[in-house]
Amino acid sequence: MRRRAIIQMLVIGVLAGVVTGAVAVIVPWLPDAASEQANEIDDVYWFVTIICVCIFALVAGVSIYAGWKFRARDDDMDDGAPIHGHTGIEIAWTALPVALVVAMSIFSIIVLDRITTLPADHRTIEVKAQQFAWSFTYSDLDRTEGDLVLELRKPYELQLTATDVIHSFWVPEFRMKQDAVPGITTETYITPTKVGTYAVICTELCGLGHSTMRARAIVLSHADYEKWAAAKPEGGTDTGGTGTGGTDTGAEADGMALFTDNGCAGCHTLAAAEASGTTGPDLDKVLAGKDAEFIRTSIIDPNTEIAAGFEPNVMPSTYGDQLSDEQLNALVDFLLESVGS
Amino acid sequence: MTVVHDHTHAVEAAPPPPRRGWRRYTAPGWWRVLWLVPLSALFATALVAGSRAALGYDPLLLQAVWLTTLTVIVPLGFLVGIGGFDYWAYWVSGRPTRPEDHSSHGAHSWKDYFRVNTDHKVIGIQYLVTTIVFFVIGGMMAMFIRAELAEPGMQYVNTQAYNGLFSMHAALMIFLFIIPAFAGLGNYVIPLMIGAPDMAFPRLNALSFWLLPIAGLIMLSSLFLGAFAAGWTNYVPLAVEQPNGNLMFQMGVQWAGASSIMTALNFLVTIITMRAPGMTFWRMPLLVWANFATSTLVVIATPFIAGSQFFILFDRVLHTDFFNPGAGGYVIGYQHIFWFYSHPAVYIMMLPGFGIVSEVIAVFARKPIFGYRLMALSLMAILILGFSVWAHHMFVSGMANWLRVPMMVTTMVIAVPTGIKVFSWLATLWEGRIHFKTPMLFALGFVSMFVIGGLSGVYLGSVPIDIHASDTYFIVAHIHYVLFGGSLFTIYAGIYYWFPKMTGRMYNEKLGQLHFWLTFIGFNATFFPMHWVGLQAQPRRVADYDPSLGNWNLAISIASFALGASTLVFLYNMIVSWRSGEPAPSNPWRALTLEWQVSSPPPIFNFDEIPQVVGSPYEYGTRGARHAIVNGHSTEAETPAPTEELVT
Repeated sequence: MRRRAIIQMLVIGVLAGVVTGAVAVIVPWLPDAASEQANEIDDVYWFVTIICVCIFALVAGVSIYAGWKFRARDDDMDDGAPIHGHTGIEIAWTALPVALVVAMSIFSIIVLDRITTLPADHRTIEVKAQQFAWSFTYSDLDRTEGDLVLELRKPYELQLTATDVIHSFWVPEFRMKQDAVPGITTETYITPTKVGTYAVICTELCGLGHSTMRARAIVLSHADYEKWAAAKPEGGTDTGGTGTGGTDTGAEADGMALFTDNGCAGCHTLAAAEASGTTGPDLDKVLAGKDAEFIRTSIIDPNTEIAAGFEPNVMPSTYGDQLSDEQLNALVDFLLESVGS
Repeated sequence: MTVVHDHTHAVEAAPPPPRRGWRRYTAPGWWRVLWLVPLSALFATALVAGSRAALGYDPLLLQAVWLTTLTVIVPLGFLVGIGGFDYWAYWVSGRPTRPEDHSSHGAHSWKDYFRVNTDHKVIGIQYLVTTIVFFVIGGMMAMFIRAELAEPGMQYVNTQAYNGLFSMHAALMIFLFIIPAFAGLGNYVIPLMIGAPDMAFPRLNALSFWLLPIAGLIMLSSLFLGAFAAGWTNYVPLAVEQPNGNLMFQMGVQWAGASSIMTALNFLVTIITMRAPGMTFWRMPLLVWANFATSTLVVIATPFIAGSQFFILFDRVLHTDFFNPGAGGYVIGYQHIFWFYSHPAVYIMMLPGFGIVSEVIAVFARKPIFGYRLMALSLMAILILGFSVWAHHMFVSGMANWLRVPMMVTTMVIAVPTGIKVFSWLATLWEGRIHFKTPMLFALGFVSMFVIGGLSGVYLGSVPIDIHASDTYFIVAHIHYVLFGGSLFTIYAGIYYWFPKMTGRMYNEKLGQLHFWLTFIGFNATFFPMHWVGLQAQPRRVADYDPSLGNWNLAISIASFALGASTLVFLYNMIVSWRSGEPAPSNPWRALTLEWQVSSPPPIFNFDEIPQVVGSPYEYGTRGARHAIVNGHSTEAETPAPTEELVT
């Protein structure tokens, strides 16, 4: 009788385990892994998954069996067996979880150490987060971009800062995430293993444009990376932003690049830049017929005049410090031309 | 809706005499509120304008200062008006007080639920009804959130409104539903369970209830002041830059927190000093143990969230620099203070539910709780460990790196006492006689959902996995498995379980079961896929997302509307059954604990004689074993009938 109960329960438990295991394996739970860190993290993920599937199967086995076998009819006035406890079982279900959490902790500690240690000859990129844009400074190349460009299989340290509120850097395919906090510098590490273009996503609520705060992470092969690194922005200032790998010339192109690299497109609509953000006013409408002075003031001190239907203090007021005079001029010229004033 | 209590107690508790004419404006109650609230608002305004004029500040009524003063003074005016301080004011001013004054005790008509009432049973129901109102409001906000997320792009609300909706949804559900709903259930049940006539401090108890609607209204008013839209965690510096609606969150939390602390102190003193003779700690029902642990957590932890929100308030209004990075402020320091409360708060929202589930499972499986002492000790272990895990919310925050590993280990270790509880509940089912009534369905639903929430918690406890999964929809899924599948299911279990005791009427069992299955299926269909969209690429708290995730978000939204609709079944059942359900016997579930040994609803002072406790509360299946002797009758498992005769 007792043996039969155990066998029946085992069958249910194994079935539950198979179903849960199938859900865990067949559904592609994780996105592509495109960095060494991702592979390490996925190892922990699968280790924890195996343990969790086993525990879930055990719990499901016992509870389904109990619900099936010990169900009482409504008019059954009897009580169950007066079992108050069992020291052996209680010790077992204390000790076994202890062993499991120790195992998971040790595995996690080892992996954490590996994903946060880089060889001494790694490259460093400074990442600046602000409402609602990312910028990436490659000090070895002496340039700043709106995209994160990485060379395949090279270890990178990203040093993150924020100018206004907390943001968080995340590329799902790299699995690495790190908050960018105003006032301090934080680090994260990436060694990309797959050529491709991925999304840099802000994962810390940072204001109205939070869901639009995205950039591209582009992993290039050695040859392509060399080509990109060699293509110095023409005539641009040292910190001038340009489109990735672009061969931009003239104020108009620079202005367009400034517009996208500084996150303007995340919040504003502007046909000329193919931007369709709705967090801020539609520039094609609100700037139509305005002069350069108005546009310049609106960039430097956005609260001077707030477009109807919008709140003050939403647009960052840091662009005045952040853009050089030439850049500001280029941006204003670009906007003037775009709205046809 | 009318609940009339029996007058079996020796001390008569007559309702306060009705006041006529102008005297009703001076007696405690709504007439006095009517003029005291505008007067206190006027006073606050004059205070701000007067002092700013004296100092030569412009403008006279700076909104932030004005609102802060209003949210301190107007609630006090309301409390004075409704009569929250009357007895103490008599005492302080040396006017005569009656030592055995029961005039504000008990409910004789529905109106008695709308005044300061010192009866823990009335207060329990006041709490539950109020919190369910906020639950419905918070739930409707969730419906708006899912409507907006049903397809990519912005459709129904703008970003400001969207951010306000999810921030307010969380704040209401946490501070005005789950935490106070447990306080309401505990209020009703604990004095009865330990054989006490009431709580230790009935007037304090009444005051703590009346702080709650104040907190709720303050928080809701933020919708009209530029919504509180920085997430319920209210991280700085974003919180400091927000419009003044954010200020209403900071002040609302103070009132809700004060209410929480006062109730917790009341529970602690009641449990420690007012247990019936013979009720040792090892004979207390696990619900009482659970509320003992919870109240300790509340008393120690809640001042930290009060502090964290006061610091933001000072930064906003007084221009201090606690969290201003430009002036040496410590941005991450906010998160440490906040989570030092808000992680224990997770247990504040879980432990009372553990208690409810222990009661329900023992009664409906007709079995003693398996490993009672280890169950009680694991509650205490969670209480202590709960204070050592807060930084697992901050693994990617940029805090000191060395903190990650110890906080991961304590987080993992807390799975051990939690696991003990789950295994013990399952073992309690073993060889039981299980009756699948609605409370039992919700209790078992809770155990299964909490296992999933606990296991996803193990993923998040591991630092490397958390680096990927934190701040994504995986977290949203996890917290809803813990707080909805966990806390809310136990609240449902508790409401159905004690509904006959509270109202004297039975709920409709068929509707109860329908409610359970709709909720259970709707809940899983809504929240399980969120694990997947989170691990893929969807961060939490976004108004818009990558179009590739559109189909799954649509499916989640449809499921969430079904889940929302299931609540209507619950509300309908509660309202109709309260008005016209079958009359409930004193002990419909054949339970042994003391609250079932008195009439439904119980007499005004609970017990005509103080009961004598003689044994464990869970001796199901042992012939002749007794928990207590009430009015000369023993509470034997097999003989529920004698108590019936006590209903007068």
